[in-house]
Amino acid sequence: MKRLVGFLMRRFGWMVLTVWAVYTVSFILIKLAPGSPFSAERAVTPAIEQQLRARYNLDASPLRQYWDYLFGIVTRGDLGWSLKLEDYSVNQVIAEGFPVSASLAVFALVFAIVLGVTAGVISAVYRGTVADVSMMATAVLGIAVPNFVLASLAILLFVFLIPIFPAAGWGTLRQVILPALCLGAPVAAYVARLTRAGMLESLMREHVRTAFAKGLSKRTVILRHVLPGAMLPVVSYLGPATAGVLTGSLVLEKIFALPGMGSHFIYAATQRDTFLATGMVLVYTVLLFTMNTLVDIAYAVIDPRVRLE
Amino acid sequence: MPLELRRALVAVTLVIVVVAVLWASRFDAMPPADFSFQNGTDPKTLDPHRATGQPEGHILFNIFSGLLEALPEGPPDPETGVQALTPQPSVAAGYEVSPDNMTYTFTLRRDATWSDGVPITSDDFVWSWTRMLHPETACEYNFQLFSLPYAEAYATGVVDVGDRVEVELWDRPGETTTSEANPQNFPRGTIVYGILKEIAKPPEPSLPENASKELISSTTAKWQSSWVYTIDVAKRDADDILWDDVESVETFASDLDSTLVQPDTRRAHGVLVAFDQLGAMETPDPYTFIVHLKDPLPYFPFLATYYPLFPVPRHCIELHGKPMWTRPENIVTNGPYRVGLRMLRDRVRLVKDPNWFNADSVEVETIDAMSIESANTALNMYTTGELDWVYDQPITLIEELKGRDDFHVAPQLAAYYYELNTLRPPLDDVRVRRALALAINREQIVQEVTKAGQAPAYFLVPPGIAGYQSPPGIDGTLDEAKALLAEAGYPGGRGIPKFTILYNTNEAHRAVAEVIQQQWQNNLNIQVGLQNMEWGSFLDKRQQKRFDISRAAWIGDYPDPNTFLDLWLSESIQNNGSWVNEDYDRLLAEAASESDTTKRMSLLSQAEAIWVDEVPAIPIYHYVSKHLVKPYVNGFFLSPQDQHPLRLLRLENSR
Repeated sequence: MKRLVGFLMRRFGWMVLTVWAVYTVSFILIKLAPGSPFSAERAVTPAIEQQLRARYNLDASPLRQYWDYLFGIVTRGDLGWSLKLEDYSVNQVIAEGFPVSASLAVFALVFAIVLGVTAGVISAVYRGTVADVSMMATAVLGIAVPNFVLASLAILLFVFLIPIFPAAGWGTLRQVILPALCLGAPVAAYVARLTRAGMLESLMREHVRTAFAKGLSKRTVILRHVLPGAMLPVVSYLGPATAGVLTGSLVLEKIFALPGMGSHFIYAATQRDTFLATGMVLVYTVLLFTMNTLVDIAYAVIDPRVRLE
Repeated sequence: MPLELRRALVAVTLVIVVVAVLWASRFDAMPPADFSFQNGTDPKTLDPHRATGQPEGHILFNIFSGLLEALPEGPPDPETGVQALTPQPSVAAGYEVSPDNMTYTFTLRRDATWSDGVPITSDDFVWSWTRMLHPETACEYNFQLFSLPYAEAYATGVVDVGDRVEVELWDRPGETTTSEANPQNFPRGTIVYGILKEIAKPPEPSLPENASKELISSTTAKWQSSWVYTIDVAKRDADDILWDDVESVETFASDLDSTLVQPDTRRAHGVLVAFDQLGAMETPDPYTFIVHLKDPLPYFPFLATYYPLFPVPRHCIELHGKPMWTRPENIVTNGPYRVGLRMLRDRVRLVKDPNWFNADSVEVETIDAMSIESANTALNMYTTGELDWVYDQPITLIEELKGRDDFHVAPQLAAYYYELNTLRPPLDDVRVRRALALAINREQIVQEVTKAGQAPAYFLVPPGIAGYQSPPGIDGTLDEAKALLAEAGYPGGRGIPKFTILYNTNEAHRAVAEVIQQQWQNNLNIQVGLQNMEWGSFLDKRQQKRFDISRAAWIGDYPDPNTFLDLWLSESIQNNGSWVNEDYDRLLAEAASESDTTKRMSLLSQAEAIWVDEVPAIPIYHYVSKHLVKPYVNGFFLSPQDQHPLRLLRLENSR
């Protein structure tokens, strides 16, 4: 327990340092980007632009802006105002978008793990059979096909040919299923391949042979002695996969008109929405760091030999 | 890790997964709206003084009402189905214009109220227009009121010695003389009126020649804040300012650390022309609102139908401040609809306001303005019945859609053109510009690239403005183009300096640019480069005038040629091509002060003839608006301004 707490404390320290470094780098990059957040096809008069810059403290010296903004984040958790969604603060934008992205990610991951692990186990146990070959072929396809192609196919199939799901939008369970499946499919494919590889390796192990020799049933051996070991690569993949599902939903958010966070991430950058872009980068940094920490803990849970350092 | 802890963590993980799934499957069921439409990107703001785009317009026109409202009038054009929109009574029950077109007297309805029941009076308009023009509001459409005397000086903060001015003391709520400025410009600090006697300025800081725009503007702003103003403060009686009675002579400055500050100098936000006290607007009683113009603008009633001139709720803005007053729980409106709900990247739900003065005429109870950016997604949702109106369809499908009964196309007051940098060779030579304009086959572009029925453009101002006769357009044969090029010293395109077409990254713009590149290559033997940039960098490059040829487009702000022509005034900030023509400037200035409509239109037409002749930009096509509207929707009018008042919609029961 002590070790776990110490580990978490150390990780937290590193996270603070990383977030600070990320903040600094993104601040510099945004300052270097050409174009102003206030430009539009209709040019803004210099007087108006100066007023706007003053309103958002963009007229201070860069160093002053750097510290003021950092101070606001650290003391008040205030990420500033969005420049392009003027009625919203960055905190509000994230508060509205994150639950949508998170709930989509939950469905996508649960689907991916259940399907991926099941397929992987079956493939490994019945290695070389038709089931194995066809499942692994599907998995390769699943990894290779980008999710917007998958989404288009899914819409064609389940919206127009067999009309069981709505075309797009957010607000009901039926509207989540299609995007969650498309988002989870590549992850499921990857998980299936990792599970299969892990299982095959575990099946060769001596403790497994011993377990069989003791006369345990095949099911017991696989569930209790093979599967936990085979899960290690899957778990280590789940950290980045979660982050990927949360950030990578941009295309699907667009196709299915979902009000998640992914689209803000891109628009903030292309439209020079300084504060929103920085806020998004920081949120994703924290998410990624948290996920990796959870993965490391999960490692120690699954494999008694792993020590938290 | 001990076994018990491992077991516990496994259990905790399982519980977390179950809770997460349960949490994720919880949805508050929301009944669908009666009418839903695609509204493009998220509206930037619901503040009429800060909004600019089309998605904002679709909402603001329906939650706020102005003095007048643009409504369809007369029978639809038999060919295009388009109906002209004209200014009709709204909050103003009617108005009178003086014979010289300089004074408008609006009579307000007595039953017009804000959505919280507070009556709307003429003072609301004075306050709203003052807020709209106030420099700190930073309204990008503030030029729409520049025809009022002193409005431009007020909005741009220009004051001269001898002007009647207002000084806003540094005592806005929460401010002390040493504190930072309160960014809320309303409610205002104490206002002192007087006549400006003198401005004492410290020496202007010198800047390196290559200083950035930001550095220049922030240095100038800092310098200006150190100016010390000496003012003859005027006496006041109950309701008037006695400008000629000097009460005291005082000095004001916004930065009290300035070297020129005297011991009794008071801190102030700034010194502006006293716009709202100088007779531009009069309110003899709560229901009469008189506006005096300095130029006889025939299109002023049209301006009064646009949202920047709409009234905004003073009591709500002063209570919540900007931008918090626009939150759905705070906002007070005065239109046929209220804001029921606003979800980012999802929708703005409009709900009929039963207290609106003409609520009986509103039929549809709830409307969803859906933030859907993808044209494909919108079309999918339209096909499955989740949307009733879609105005941005996938370009690749336009040809297929054109045959359908629910697809409507209407000419729009908007032009697509290539802006030429007239300072860079070879485009500084008018003969080259003319040759390039002649060598474009516009028919090919509208038929093979844009496809929706856009009109090839040979002049700037889109056709269809009442009373305006377009000048003869760009006309000539290819041989003439070649001859012009030879005359300019590049026979057969030989020796011509290389130049590039700049456009923002977009399939449609790329396709047009490629066709033109090909046409110039084939017709004139000129090779041009193509350069695409993402939006922010593109705008930057254009506004810094670092381009040869740039894609550009303009949507008319009001149905008058002036909205297009004034882009090329020498002083216009939109004039990125640096084209200067004195005759052109003079004709537009004459037109502005001309009260005879026919003469005015003829002056504008003469100006456009110069434009066509001098080719500061190459017109390519005039836009059309494209609408997919469900057949059970009635009352959806097509208009050149592309405005669609939602309160006129009628839904047939048979949907």
